[in-house]
Amino acid sequence: MREGATLDVPLVELVDRLLNRGVVLTGELTISVAGVDLVYLGLSVVLTSVETIREAGAKI
Amino acid sequence: MTLLLRAIVGAEDVGVAAELGLTVVPATSVVALASPWAAAGAAGEADLLDHHRVIQAIFARVPCLPARFGSVFPDAGALGARLALRERDLATQLARLGHRCELAITCAWRDGGRVAPATSVPASTGRAYLERGVVRARTQKERQLRADEIVARLLGELAVEPAFIRHRTCPRPAVAVSMSALVTRDEIDQINSRLERLGAQLPDVTTVVQGPWAPYTFAVSE
Repeated sequence: MREGATLDVPLVELVDRLLNRGVVLTGELTISVAGVDLVYLGLSVVLTSVETIREAGAKI
Repeated sequence: MTLLLRAIVGAEDVGVAAELGLTVVPATSVVALASPWAAAGAAGEADLLDHHRVIQAIFARVPCLPARFGSVFPDAGALGARLALRERDLATQLARLGHRCELAITCAWRDGGRVAPATSVPASTGRAYLERGVVRARTQKERQLRADEIVARLLGELAVEPAFIRHRTCPRPAVAVSMSALVTRDEIDQINSRLERLGAQLPDVTTVVQGPWAPYTFAVSE
């Protein structure tokens, strides 16, 4: 409910918006995001936090 | 200089760029705010989250349309050319959305979306396999129905104009409802209170509200 609480709530909702929503001006180059598959993998299994994702990333 | 697009703001708000160290690419009524981007390799999780931080910093100061992450232009001229093509549409969207916030409402199954074991029959048998499939299908149907009920409760509680709501049910196994609501800043406290009350009445899900964010979901792409 507060922006500062983001670390305690699901990252996947934010990642989804950053990657799939928002204004696009067509014709530009698009950069890929390393590690996003990993983020989605973790978040598709459990609703988790930034900290959990980072821990999962460190283990894989 | 390669530029990563961050957001679109009104021309009258261009001053925010200097405050945040962003590059300005102007059109007439709107301006694009961007950051220099080192083109080597792919971005990482840190870049993704930094994009959000930059957008939030802009949005905290002035109305804006957030850019989808990953929009890179070889130089200011290329970005300016694209901006000019979309200027009228972007100005219209900015006027409609820019002063509103997005709340992300997530209802997650308390059991994590796990399906209970279907049978006492040994797991290696064909019968057990088929029974697991039956249970899985039945559970998915039940969860879908329950998610639809939760959406109805949320919509009733939010009382927000339908055009300012987007939602998906069961987008992932662990999630019953993922909803975006476009609200004004002065509505946030009241909506949070209502959602907290509603969340306490939904024993099978955990309700989480994130935001206020810039209106990612409602900023329409071309």
